[in-house]
Amino acid sequence: MRLLINGRHHEIEHGDEPLLWVLRDELGLTGTRYGCGAGICGCCTVLLAGQPARSCRITAAEVGERPVVTLEGLAERGADGQVVALHPVQQAFVETPLQCGWCLPGHVLCAVALLARDPDPDEAAIAEAAQPNLCRCGGYNTIKAAVARAAELAREA
Amino acid sequence: MTDTNAVPSDAAPSEPDARPRRWRVARRRLLIGAGATFGSLLVGVPIALEYGRPTLAQWMLERGAGSSEVPESSLVWFELTGDGITLHVPKIEMGQGIHTALAQIAAEELRVPFEALTVVQADTARGFPSATMFTFGSTSVSSLYTPIREAAAAVRAMLAAEAARQLGVDTQQLTAADGVFQVGGTERRVAYTEVIAAHQGPWQEPAEQPELRPAGEFTSIGRSVPRVDFRAKVLGEATYGYDARLPGMGYGAFVVPPRFGAELESAEPGDAAAMPGVHQVVIDVEAGFAGVVADTRTRAWAAARALKLSWSEGTRVDNAALEEQVTAGDGVVLRRDGSIRDALSQGRLVAAEYRTPMAAHAHLEPLAALARVEPGPAGKVEVWVPTQSPESVLEDLHAALGEDRPVVVHVTQLGGSFGRKGGQHLAVEAARLSAAVGTPVHVGWTRDTDLRQAFYRPPTHTRMRGSIGPDGMIRGVEQVSAAGDIIWAVAGLPEPVRSLIGFDPGGLLGLFLPYDLPAYRLVNRREQLPVPTGPWRGLGLMPNTFALESFLDELAEAAGSDPLTYRLAHLRKSGEQGERLRTVLRTAAQMAGWSESLPAGRGRGIACSGDAGTVVAVVAEVDLSDGRLRVTGVDVAVDCGLVVNPAGAKLQAQGSIVMGLSSTLREELRIQDGQVVSDNFDTYPILSMADTPPVRVAFVGGGDVPHGMGEPVVGPVPAAVANAVRAAGGPRLRTLPLRL
Repeated sequence: MRLLINGRHHEIEHGDEPLLWVLRDELGLTGTRYGCGAGICGCCTVLLAGQPARSCRITAAEVGERPVVTLEGLAERGADGQVVALHPVQQAFVETPLQCGWCLPGHVLCAVALLARDPDPDEAAIAEAAQPNLCRCGGYNTIKAAVARAAELAREA
Repeated sequence: MTDTNAVPSDAAPSEPDARPRRWRVARRRLLIGAGATFGSLLVGVPIALEYGRPTLAQWMLERGAGSSEVPESSLVWFELTGDGITLHVPKIEMGQGIHTALAQIAAEELRVPFEALTVVQADTARGFPSATMFTFGSTSVSSLYTPIREAAAAVRAMLAAEAARQLGVDTQQLTAADGVFQVGGTERRVAYTEVIAAHQGPWQEPAEQPELRPAGEFTSIGRSVPRVDFRAKVLGEATYGYDARLPGMGYGAFVVPPRFGAELESAEPGDAAAMPGVHQVVIDVEAGFAGVVADTRTRAWAAARALKLSWSEGTRVDNAALEEQVTAGDGVVLRRDGSIRDALSQGRLVAAEYRTPMAAHAHLEPLAALARVEPGPAGKVEVWVPTQSPESVLEDLHAALGEDRPVVVHVTQLGGSFGRKGGQHLAVEAARLSAAVGTPVHVGWTRDTDLRQAFYRPPTHTRMRGSIGPDGMIRGVEQVSAAGDIIWAVAGLPEPVRSLIGFDPGGLLGLFLPYDLPAYRLVNRREQLPVPTGPWRGLGLMPNTFALESFLDELAEAAGSDPLTYRLAHLRKSGEQGERLRTVLRTAAQMAGWSESLPAGRGRGIACSGDAGTVVAVVAEVDLSDGRLRVTGVDVAVDCGLVVNPAGAKLQAQGSIVMGLSSTLREELRIQDGQVVSDNFDTYPILSMADTPPVRVAFVGGGDVPHGMGEPVVGPVPAAVANAVRAAGGPRLRTLPLRL
């Protein structure tokens, strides 16, 4: 079967496997992380038709035709695949980094979805969008600052 | 500005170099590459006999098989080519930001832009003794600060001498900035990279250690700079242990005991061998090992569950039994000042006891490892593993697979660790499977296995008794505590020796009251528990500080004194520690508006501690007005000496506060019938964003050198919150996690 990931179609073999493992192990897109396998921590977050989804809780077959976006698919890239420009949310997390970074898929992709529907979110909206994602390094206040900065960058862009 | 780990590539296993390079020790201070000296320069700082200093070393190095051409026994090394400068570091990045801080330190004395440096995480074949790579105790930046500066300054001086020769001027005429030498009074410039590219022949180490830049002129140290590792991380390109891949690799899984202490008695493939995608079942009952390799990870996990196994009984211990074993009483007398009997027989007596539970590290990246084992009993073993201690991985691999095998440990990025990835025996399991099937094998644990098969922060119990004189001052304190093993649980000392010593060195952190006491008696006992325990961020610091700093508030309350005033009055008058603690206490109190009153149901608590050369004070504010315990704000003042990267240090401080709050409010590892039942984030909840208050951080003190920042700030958190609960009119809570 085929999956549409980061704007490209990929033939995949194991449609019955969770999307998480198809992305990571079959396609080598290891930017989507495993954390709990139970949909609690948010490390495996992808955008499924533009909405944050837990890739550990859905099989590749269930994804079907819906487009999938992972951390690897956010930046603007040239014809050679090189990064031309980071996504504003990525740029904000470079300027306002976390610590280990394992939780980034959830925090970055939930922020991307938030800014798509609300370009000027207040602190409560930022906190609500980020709430489903854990960060064991304790960067929650930094995450709020980074998402606010991302909104600024996106508006400037 | 990048951070590079040894990422497994499609390339063949790294081959021994055919042309060993000679290394000479120039004036015994630096290791300088003496082989291919055209267009490149490699400089390493020899390990010192004196801790952390590039002093004496005598090596004439011939590189052995299986490694690249790099200095051996280095603390750090620099590689300069016509393309740029690379800093090879032994210390491991798990989110502390140390690769960034170490690059800042190097950039300062090299006089290059911080962004121009590439940081490379070394592996065990790249010139670092594996013990140097062990990353622990909040020491990475403090131990390398001076060696890196001195080496970088020497490298710059060597480049300056060469630049002067190439330009036909005197070295004194050159000024260095932004990686470029300029001839004074002229527009003549030459970039470092050009100097290196044009160089021929041996390099001359400077006759004397060049002067280091005075702190007042720093342009890189002390500046908040971007993290070297974060661009790759936001792009999803950084390689953590779970991400390591090699062509043709299989996915491994292995069985773990159902109860602590249970041993594998027999194992049969059962249905596993015939399950879809299963390549091989690997059983070695003598080694206590049964595992499988399959074509996908979930198939490997499923097949491992299908193996037919029998286990010995193991322990059926639960939390209550563990707490009973860890009951304060007998122990080693670690301190005996004045007469505690006299002190406690007079004045007003205050007594209280405190308990802290077992806790998990709960790093979000579960343990994982990739191994490639070449055939034959002496085949090379190569592993990619997220570990704080490559040395223990190396030793474990040799012990399990044979001492004759060459072993290389590549360290990946770590998705959190907090002490847990000190060793990392999954490298052994992955290597066993790889050796059996002949392909590389990756093993990654599920979350429930990761939480069930860890070692844990041990429980503690502390009994405190103190007396107060008519002036309200403390006459004496008796402190009797017990805790499960920390260092002894992971160090290789025989049990009789550990018993003879009687206390655990890790349990000493945060154990000593920093106050002037006419009488002080301190008794401590370590307990070997039937469940695995070990280092957790700060070791004994947070559990001990919870008891000590809660009790200090209880004494202050009995004396009718303000907790801040009471601490300031009792902190030690001699030595600098007392004064540094006073400064951070006053600062945190001022930040929090300590003297301003709060509405009913709200309160502030204060606590302080010292660790790794750093002192910390925390003020927590709580709100109990709706019958729940909510922490509404935290102010923290830190004196960690010189701050290399303020933004990075602030992250460490805030993260430590949040992790401390998580332990204070949530975390308690439940054990029933010899099994961990807190096996995912539903049954082992950690703090989320909604429960995280604003955290304000101030750095005070300063100094010539940096101290630790990875652990010290967790110390005062639980006591500050418990003290705030009491100040808000709530009960005195003496057990973690705090529950109203």
